[in-house]
Amino acid sequence: MKMIILLAMVFLIILIIEAPKLIVNKYWKELIVFLSLLSLAFILTVLVILGVDIPSPLEGIEYLIDDILDLSWERK
Amino acid sequence: MKIEKGVISSSQLTFMIIGFLQASNLLLVFSSRIVNHDSWLAILVGLVISIPIALSYAALAKEFSGKTLIQISDIIYGAYLGKMISVSYILIFLLTFSIDLRLFSDFLITYIMPETPIWAILTLLTFLSAWAVRGGIEVIARCSFIIIAMASIIILSTFVFLLSDMEFSNFLPVFDLPLKDFIQGTHINVSLYYLEIIIFLMIMAFVNKTEQVRGSMLWGLILGGVSLLILEVRNVAVLGIVSNILTSPSFNAVRYISVAEVFTRLEMFVVIMLITTVFLKVSIMYYATVLGLAQTLHLRSYLPLVTPIGIITISLCIISGDSSMELLHGGMYIWPVFILPIQLFPVLSLFIVKLRKKSKKLGANEE
Repeated sequence: MKMIILLAMVFLIILIIEAPKLIVNKYWKELIVFLSLLSLAFILTVLVILGVDIPSPLEGIEYLIDDILDLSWERK
Repeated sequence: MKIEKGVISSSQLTFMIIGFLQASNLLLVFSSRIVNHDSWLAILVGLVISIPIALSYAALAKEFSGKTLIQISDIIYGAYLGKMISVSYILIFLLTFSIDLRLFSDFLITYIMPETPIWAILTLLTFLSAWAVRGGIEVIARCSFIIIAMASIIILSTFVFLLSDMEFSNFLPVFDLPLKDFIQGTHINVSLYYLEIIIFLMIMAFVNKTEQVRGSMLWGLILGGVSLLILEVRNVAVLGIVSNILTSPSFNAVRYISVAEVFTRLEMFVVIMLITTVFLKVSIMYYATVLGLAQTLHLRSYLPLVTPIGIITISLCIISGDSSMELLHGGMYIWPVFILPIQLFPVLSLFIVKLRKKSKKLGANEE
């Protein structure tokens, strides 16, 4: 729990540094993209800290190349 | 409105490509596990194969001067298909970026700082790169010269210092392996180091003289390939068959240096070279990812995306595999097969553009 509070503080600092510039310049689209990416990053990092077993994207690629398409080089 | 106002010179592009390839020092082991002591031949053949493809990248950049890869695919394939292609490019850039970062921090943890948690190294390196990326392309381009000068001096001097330890009989017998293995090794070389320069299609748009892009691309590729060749020859000549089972043959080969028992334990220079060149490579990839995302979404500035993408990359690095062996396995058997079609895709784009131009000309003549 302590880690998550610390993490939330780091994200809050990033938000305080970045967001006002966007609001002052009226970059609304950029603000939306920034906030959605930042929340995605927050969710990912919280999952990593909690030790949730997130499937690696490389495993998906391996499944695609190896099991579905059967294209991978022969193992030695 | 232009998203990036910086302009780089064509020689800076050359330096960036050389540094980009020198950072692949870390990945040399991928192909040498397959082709053993003939890996220098695989590197050479890979260089020859990748030159025409790199030239077609340069031709594509010349055809659409001032446009990045994302804008080019928007123009060629239209709004919807182009968006899909752009998104897949960005995802690939992000993945390559995170895998390179992960491999490098694995190297640091294995050899130098075994007690350090991986996220500490990842965070520091990403923070440094994010700083460079926020400065724009000019900052990255300017530091490229210093970095490659340092790295080249280290490569050449370690080669000279190790001349007395080299045994060139390690290369014999030449080509003592099945052809299939050789093709696999060359394929790994081509798609893991040389054709990674597809990422420079995002950067070539900012070169001030478009007609010089072709030459700087060619020189960058050749000089980078030659420095990889020097590294590989040095490793195999010094270590022999052992170089195929080590995680970092460069690091272990340079340990042999002993000049009058005064200059010893110079392996830290290899680490310095790796840190600087990997910083360059990672910054370029980071920049390409962020700029690509901003251009796909038609944003006015890419600066707000830098921090979130960096944090996402750190998480991706941590979840991408349990150990570097897993990544090594993927890099040897699966990743090259996956990435080759994407790297050849710009060649198809160039073909489509040329065909369209030709048919337009024919149509104009008939009327």
